[in-house]
Amino acid sequence: MQESAAPAVRVRALTKTFGEGELAVHAVRGVDLDVAPGEVVLVMGPSGSGKTTLLLMLGAMLRPTSGSIEVAGIDLATAPERSLPRLRARHFGFIFQDFNLLTALSALENVELACNLAGATGRDARQRAQGLLERVNLGHRLRHHPDELSGGEKQRVAVARALVNDPALLLADEPTANLDSSHGQEVARLIRRLAVEDGRSVVIVSHDERLREVADRTFWLEDGRFVQLSALSTDPVCGMEVREDARWHWRADGHVWRFCSPECRDEFATSPGRFASRSLHD
Amino acid sequence: MMVGRVPLARRNLFQDRRRVGLTVLGIAVSALLVLVLDGIFAGSMRQVTSYIRSSPADVWVSQRSVRTLHMSNSALPPETLDAVRGVQGVAWAEPLYYTTNVVEASDGTRRLTYVFGYEPEPGRVGPVEITRGRGPRSGEVVIDDVTADELALGVGDRVSVMGRNLRISGVSARNTNIINTIVFIPARDFRAAHGEAVSYVLAGSEEGAAADQLAKRIAAAVPDTTVQTRSEFTSQERRIVRDMSTDIIRIMTVVALLIGLAVVGLSLLALTLAKQREYGVVRALGAGPGRLAAGVIAQAGWSVVVGFALAVVLALAVGQGLARFTPNVRVAYELPAIARTFVRLLLIGMTGALVPLRRVLRIDPASAFRGS
Repeated sequence: MQESAAPAVRVRALTKTFGEGELAVHAVRGVDLDVAPGEVVLVMGPSGSGKTTLLLMLGAMLRPTSGSIEVAGIDLATAPERSLPRLRARHFGFIFQDFNLLTALSALENVELACNLAGATGRDARQRAQGLLERVNLGHRLRHHPDELSGGEKQRVAVARALVNDPALLLADEPTANLDSSHGQEVARLIRRLAVEDGRSVVIVSHDERLREVADRTFWLEDGRFVQLSALSTDPVCGMEVREDARWHWRADGHVWRFCSPECRDEFATSPGRFASRSLHD
Repeated sequence: MMVGRVPLARRNLFQDRRRVGLTVLGIAVSALLVLVLDGIFAGSMRQVTSYIRSSPADVWVSQRSVRTLHMSNSALPPETLDAVRGVQGVAWAEPLYYTTNVVEASDGTRRLTYVFGYEPEPGRVGPVEITRGRGPRSGEVVIDDVTADELALGVGDRVSVMGRNLRISGVSARNTNIINTIVFIPARDFRAAHGEAVSYVLAGSEEGAAADQLAKRIAAAVPDTTVQTRSEFTSQERRIVRDMSTDIIRIMTVVALLIGLAVVGLSLLALTLAKQREYGVVRALGAGPGRLAAGVIAQAGWSVVVGFALAVVLALAVGQGLARFTPNVRVAYELPAIARTFVRLLLIGMTGALVPLRRVLRIDPASAFRGS
């Protein structure tokens, strides 16, 4: 991480409100965030905390209600609507939770298509796509379609695809959520390596505590605001990370279990022994 | 498709082979119906006008206001023949006697027929080509080869025409169409059964004389007649047949094209719905709505092109089959009609793409980030 460098991303007073009046939902409220080149920022928080809304605004897919987002010197909040697809194609890389590879295309074509969208065509696009897939150790799987790849391989293709435009900012939405432990760690390390080697800023939105190992900074988003990160514990029902002062908890035998939602707590209550033993075992 | 780009639209379209197979088949059936209808129509036109087009006559003279053979009854006084022969520029003139009747085999099998009575000598307005036997003498008839095959008749067999039992003296070619056939009998026999009135006078021009000029001279010299050149008479014959069949052909064509529209529309909509999430991803990666729209249009185009190509192959096969099993139905595929059907189908394809297009233009790139 380069602490002293000018931020690649500068977010100020970012706010997003859906609806109006009594029905208004304040998804993101006055968020400030600077991300330096080569820095990996992890944003965690419970479901409905505004993580995805924040990510969509950072990725020029959702207009903020107020505030500013500067990426590569461009204020996304005021950029014309029709310029946004081009901005996305030229300045951002996206990694999705479900990999989101196009099933009709091979691994190579999935990456090549993103090259096309970024402005490269023909042999140039193909060579760049092949080079990126080789960089993520998939040189032997170029012609394979997504249904012939493992989860880890799919996510590596998605990572290669996210790099085609040499993006200033890489945005990752739950990049390890659909991967087992070893593939999850593999992808996490890959993302870290890409940030360090290329000086690329990375913003990850995730519940996955393991990603804290590769993040330079971790933010906790709750009710649309960044709050001070406290110690985390694991919801024994859904496995999600929750703050130690989480609202929903269950006390028994001198132990306190914390939950992401009242539903998880209620489910725990139906059979505490089953969840508790699993939690302690984990 | 742009050169050097990943053909996403085509890959998506052909990914599910069963779906694309059904789509292409649906479009092909729709196009096939239109092509075959057009082909039968064009073939019928050729058959119906075959005798007129093959005739050596440059000018046709008929009763005033009668302009066709089909659906017409022309009666000219016998002296019209000499009047025409006396016009300057007329090299020859022959009477043609004509009525509509049936030809009936001895087993009772019948076929609707035009009966042409002509002078066997010199025989200019008789059958153009006799493939078996010879021209008719009194008490004889020449029938067409298709009718001969249909009714299992040959030279020497007997048929009933205009209530008279006649011996078949010869078999002609190219004189049967989807509606009727043509049989030829001597003028004397025709007059004996039907009276002295001449139906048409057919005239040939002297060498170097223009047919239209000759027609004008005959019209001026012979009152109470309609005089047309051969090409005018052919056009009139085509027009009356077209007028009689246009409505039904138009209805069938509209139905076929509506089937095509439904097939294209539904299948592209289904494909778009199935790929909605992926389209969201493509938009998130930076594709503008125009690129996705172009993809849907390309899919419609591909569906139509492949479906139409299949339809053309099937249409050729249908034409061969009809020629073999129903010789009186001739299918003629004409390039302008094929091109017209293709253009219509393309328009249908584009129309069918409108609903999926509308949907694809509304796809939110943010949908790529929402969990499946």
